[in-house]
Amino acid sequence: MKIIYHLIVLLLIMNLIWYLFREKQFWTQVSIAIVLIMFFLRLFLIK
Amino acid sequence: MPEYAIFLSMVVIFAILAMGLKLPIGVSLVFSALAGALLGGEGLALRHLVEGSFGYFDTILIIVTAMIFMKVLQASGILDTITAILLKTFYKRKVTLLLTVMAIVMFPGMITGSSTAAVLSTGALIAPVLIKLGLSKVKTAALIAMGGILGMIAPPVNILVMIMGGGVDMPYIGLTIPLLIIVIPLAIIISLWLGYKDIQILDYEQMKSILPESYSQEYGFRLSLPVLVVILLMIGQGFTSSFMPDIGIPAIFLVGSLVGIFCARPFNFFKVTQDAMKESMPILCILAGVGMFIQIMTLTGGRGWIVMSFLSLPPVLLYLGISISMPLFGAVSAYGSASILGVPFILALINKNAIITSAALSAIAGLGDLMPPTALAGIFAAQIVGEKNYFKVLRYCLVPALFELAMGIGVLLLAPVIEKII
Amino acid sequence: MKEKIKKHHLIALCLLCLTGTLCWLTGVQFLSMRKTDTFYPSPGLSAQTKLSDYFPQLADSPGDTAVYCFRGEEEGGNLLILGGTHPNEPAGFITAVLLLENITVSRGKIFIIPQANLSGFTHDDPFEGNPQKFSLETPGGRRWFRFGSRLTNPTHQWPDPTLFTNAAGQALSGAEVRNLNRSYPGKEKGHLTEQIAFGIMELIKKEEIDLSLDLHEAAPEYPVVNAIVFHENSAELAAIASMELQMEDIDIRMEASPPSLRGLSHREWGDHTPSMAILLETANASHGRLKGKPSEALIVEGKDPNYVKASKLGMLFVPYSKDGIPIKERVARHLAAVNALVSGLRELNPDQAIDIGNFPPAQTVNEQGIGLYLHPPK
Repeated sequence: MKIIYHLIVLLLIMNLIWYLFREKQFWTQVSIAIVLIMFFLRLFLIK
Repeated sequence: MPEYAIFLSMVVIFAILAMGLKLPIGVSLVFSALAGALLGGEGLALRHLVEGSFGYFDTILIIVTAMIFMKVLQASGILDTITAILLKTFYKRKVTLLLTVMAIVMFPGMITGSSTAAVLSTGALIAPVLIKLGLSKVKTAALIAMGGILGMIAPPVNILVMIMGGGVDMPYIGLTIPLLIIVIPLAIIISLWLGYKDIQILDYEQMKSILPESYSQEYGFRLSLPVLVVILLMIGQGFTSSFMPDIGIPAIFLVGSLVGIFCARPFNFFKVTQDAMKESMPILCILAGVGMFIQIMTLTGGRGWIVMSFLSLPPVLLYLGISISMPLFGAVSAYGSASILGVPFILALINKNAIITSAALSAIAGLGDLMPPTALAGIFAAQIVGEKNYFKVLRYCLVPALFELAMGIGVLLLAPVIEKII
Repeated sequence: MKEKIKKHHLIALCLLCLTGTLCWLTGVQFLSMRKTDTFYPSPGLSAQTKLSDYFPQLADSPGDTAVYCFRGEEEGGNLLILGGTHPNEPAGFITAVLLLENITVSRGKIFIIPQANLSGFTHDDPFEGNPQKFSLETPGGRRWFRFGSRLTNPTHQWPDPTLFTNAAGQALSGAEVRNLNRSYPGKEKGHLTEQIAFGIMELIKKEEIDLSLDLHEAAPEYPVVNAIVFHENSAELAAIASMELQMEDIDIRMEASPPSLRGLSHREWGDHTPSMAILLETANASHGRLKGKPSEALIVEGKDPNYVKASKLGMLFVPYSKDGIPIKERVARHLAAVNALVSGLRELNPDQAIDIGNFPPAQTVNEQGIGLYLHPPK
């Protein structure tokens, strides 16, 4: 089950990064960056 | 700086950023938390900020995946088809229509214990139907938000009670009847209050003219598969735990989404996930920000100050304290309210039956999902009906929320009587 | 055709770098919790094994915790002492450490697991704002110990189910699936936490443990605090021990383990093995919902103005003054209770007598501090 959730997080990270580069509004980009921190830390099983 | 001053400064900074400088709510929360850490002499407290945001990591996963599922239903035409079918079935009688709607909205909340799951799944299915039957957008959203909250409180799964029970070592047994006593009257009163006046009964021709396009001829039974898969997997949770681990709500929604690719009108899956990201980003960032805010509030002593302030109210005011603090603290999250305040309140009411007390407190804590800035149920209900300002939705939730509050307090006061009856 | 790099792309790149930097900075702090604590077992130690020696599936998992065994030359009773079931309840953990760094056993056998949920020591609970570690002064310098979470690390056991159905079929909120003291009797093929519980059950069975003790702490506003929680198979022993403690002027509550509350050590150990099962609770303000500013001092000194106020309002189940309840007092309580239970066991059944040497005296620990009996850091 852990591997499935790893894949889900990976899928969402790819989506978030794509969205970060497409988005033109600065504060929305900041919001995405804030959310990304959590996803990276969980992807690498740090937190 | 005393702890209450730090907390109040955090609130003021948040208000300035969000209302004065019009920054997104989530970002404002992050900066006000950061300011709180600095004012409290904790430096940047990066570890605490990130740790706090993780308090909502599971919720964030649920929200993103639920949003993807919703977008799949929309893009594939399934949502339109279901709307058409439901309209054809229920257009004849107001009361049965409204009660059925309420039951459908509540269902996912009942089995997952989460109002968000309810609002985003069946709530989104029902919303277009109600709007087409003459209910205004905001009233529709209010009805769905309240349905989600009632679903969250209704048995069999009430996570709020489980959290409170966990804090006082009360097993989750014997809750069904007390919860039903609270939820059934509320479901009837609230659905009729919000819908009875405005909803129209149509004749067959009128009804046909407002029906959205149905793809049921083209794709047949296949269309219902994504929804059926999600419902079955949600019900199946727990039953399968003896031989395989539960797959959890995020995975359920994704499985439903993947099934959706093959069941109806073709669509671009990547575009759908991007749409879901865009729509859910404000709430995702709010949740991360609220997590940071609470962690810094705890770190600087603000949480303890709030809890103590309410608990030190004189006994006469205890019920008033419960009525105000539990929904208010629900702005953090209804679950947080159940844990931080629900447990001490159960202990403060220890001379009453803990099962009935926790059931009643869960009804009150559940209202937290209407409390800004998080207001999970309100925000998502507004989003699915396309209303940008969720405060308009919250305005219509006020009276139903007061019904629910009155019911909760009533059950608390009458706990000894109810205990004898059941 | 070369596409021009736009401003928002550059901003995105900068933000991505910032995100990476923040992940790095905080990641280093989060990972620092995985550095293991060092213990210095007394010369009386007979063997140091692992829980995986009793349940091999745990080998190399984050739940494979150390088991310290002290065997006496004479036959006697077998005792298991568990600390660190909940790594945010430090008095239980430190009591176990204090025992393993001091005692010798001449009769009977003692098994000590100081960090029962080892995974819980590797992270902190969100929203609680707790420090990652705390220190105790010893004559040879300061010793640091991790202050962890009540639950297994979610990176070791992920995801939580929506609902956790325990072995008795009762539903609990999903996160409780990572609570060791809701997971007994455990499952061979279950989640990590259930496997740890299963491993501990295997140890109790294979080593034919006569008395199993689970050392905990609870919030001062929680009704079961300063208490001996006993399985019905240990009622007599608990009564004898509580009388002995009363004679030493230590007030202790007697709480029978409720048969409907399943998955807990004091219930399932007694139901599923021949061992007597007892859980001990002391009062820890840093654990409570009313706590003020969390800090290392709150953990060690246990002083909190919020709890003084709550005490005046009659909301607490233990006396609480402005002097607080320091960890030395909490550990001393645990030590006194363990001692009383061991002598109770001898009284009840002389065949199960256990003779312990160098047992840290509760009163001295309470008066002069824990550090006196802790090995200085190397």
